[in-house]
Amino acid sequence: MRIAERVVLALALPVVLVTIWWFASAGSTNFYVPPLATILTAFNDTWLGPLIVTDVLPSLGRLGLGYAAALLVGIALGVAIGRRRTLRALLEPVLEFLRAIPPPVLVPILILFAGIGGGMKVLVIVSGCVWPILLNTVEGVRAIDDVLADTCRSYRIGGRLRLWHLVLRSASPQIMTGARQALSIGIILMVISEMFAASSGFGFTIVQFQRGFQIPEMWSGVILLGITGVVLSLLFRLAERAVLGWYHGLRTMDRRR
Amino acid sequence: MLAIDGLRKVYDGHGRRVEAIADITLTVEDGEFVCIVGPSGCGKTTLLRCIAGLLRPTSGEVLLDGKRVTGPPPGLAVVFQEYGRSLFPWLRVADNVELPLRAAGVAREKRRRLVAAALEAVGLDDAHGAYPWQLSGGMQQRVAIARAIASDEQRVLLMDEPFAAVDAQTRADLEDLIRRVWALTGFTVLFVTHDIDESVYLGQRVVMLGSPPTQVVEELAVDLPLDRDQLTTRSDPRFAELRGRVYAQIQKAKLEKLEKT
Repeated sequence: MRIAERVVLALALPVVLVTIWWFASAGSTNFYVPPLATILTAFNDTWLGPLIVTDVLPSLGRLGLGYAAALLVGIALGVAIGRRRTLRALLEPVLEFLRAIPPPVLVPILILFAGIGGGMKVLVIVSGCVWPILLNTVEGVRAIDDVLADTCRSYRIGGRLRLWHLVLRSASPQIMTGARQALSIGIILMVISEMFAASSGFGFTIVQFQRGFQIPEMWSGVILLGITGVVLSLLFRLAERAVLGWYHGLRTMDRRR
Repeated sequence: MLAIDGLRKVYDGHGRRVEAIADITLTVEDGEFVCIVGPSGCGKTTLLRCIAGLLRPTSGEVLLDGKRVTGPPPGLAVVFQEYGRSLFPWLRVADNVELPLRAAGVAREKRRRLVAAALEAVGLDDAHGAYPWQLSGGMQQRVAIARAIASDEQRVLLMDEPFAAVDAQTRADLEDLIRRVWALTGFTVLFVTHDIDESVYLGQRVVMLGSPPTQVVEELAVDLPLDRDQLTTRSDPRFAELRGRVYAQIQKAKLEKLEKT
């Protein structure tokens, strides 16, 4: 009952908007704004064929690779920096500077070093995704509870057990916040990296359609990109529920007390 | 045997020098239940942290079975006052109790046995799979006690005002629980509290501390019967007498502090 209610609420506005779009564009003769029916036909013909294998999956693969690498680097560096005050004082100004550089401007530079292949695109994604993960991990590691840290000391819990059960789990709510921000940055960079000097991929294909005046196909690519974003954020929410189940339970309990 | 010899702790910082503990010498025999009681701010927690190896004394030393304590020693467990913050909220009750055993390299089968025994001893056999935050404050502190006793080589239990943050009835239950656990395990218990009644009700011996710079004011043997319960023990005339003695000493310590300032 409550689930049904939530599904209805979640879908109501999208359905209304699509309906409005459908009827408003139905008789459109504007070349740049084709009827939605035409766009959907194009969607079917364009994406549900070989393009999935040649363009969509490679893009998503690069996104996954870059995102995973950013998680690994961001969390590892974040833990190291968060635990040592001197390291933090030393690196913080540099990190703030690097973070302030918009990753798309790195694309021309990265092309010089990494060429125009998949490696460059993965690097662009990493260079954008790593900052929110890194900085949030530092904050999370700094905020470890004193009593819990003392508990670990007095029970002689050290090494890998301490790293996992104290440091990483304590910081996991902040790490997940960073990871969520990084995911949307990653999707943007996936597309942007393919608009420069590329021969395949999501972004490349959409730009190609625009240049070739295949307007319905271009529109359908934008729709597919939107759907991809929604699906990825749903997957992220599932992962978050698995990782942070304890955290949400604890917060609900605290609010009730 | 736990021996505290000439322990002194001075906090130095921000141009202010605070002598928290002047000189404490104290011996606790194996299997003894000793309560340390003193006015608030007398450095009880500082003393306990020095004994636990969490804090380095300025001078003097702590010896556990003849060995000098320089860091948290094996065979000694601490129960903190802030139960809510000393349990891992992302671990279930049984995993919380098990973690120190994993750190000590105890084999899986034995760990399972020790965890089950410890949780049974504190009356939580049905809470293995719960998260700590799903439990009441008193139950959380029982989990912390279970974690402290889940070992077959541990012998000393340090408790830092463990029941100060729970309501009065839960507190009475926990007092009886810790007496039972002590009788069951034969651990040495060093119990720090600011509650005079609690110190007399629980301990075989009460060590009274003065105001900072802190010294031991008096040690008092509690000659109440071994079997104690909230109703009869607390209405025992001898209980009232002992309680009065401790109360008088603490009051005196407080007055001395007022005169000093």
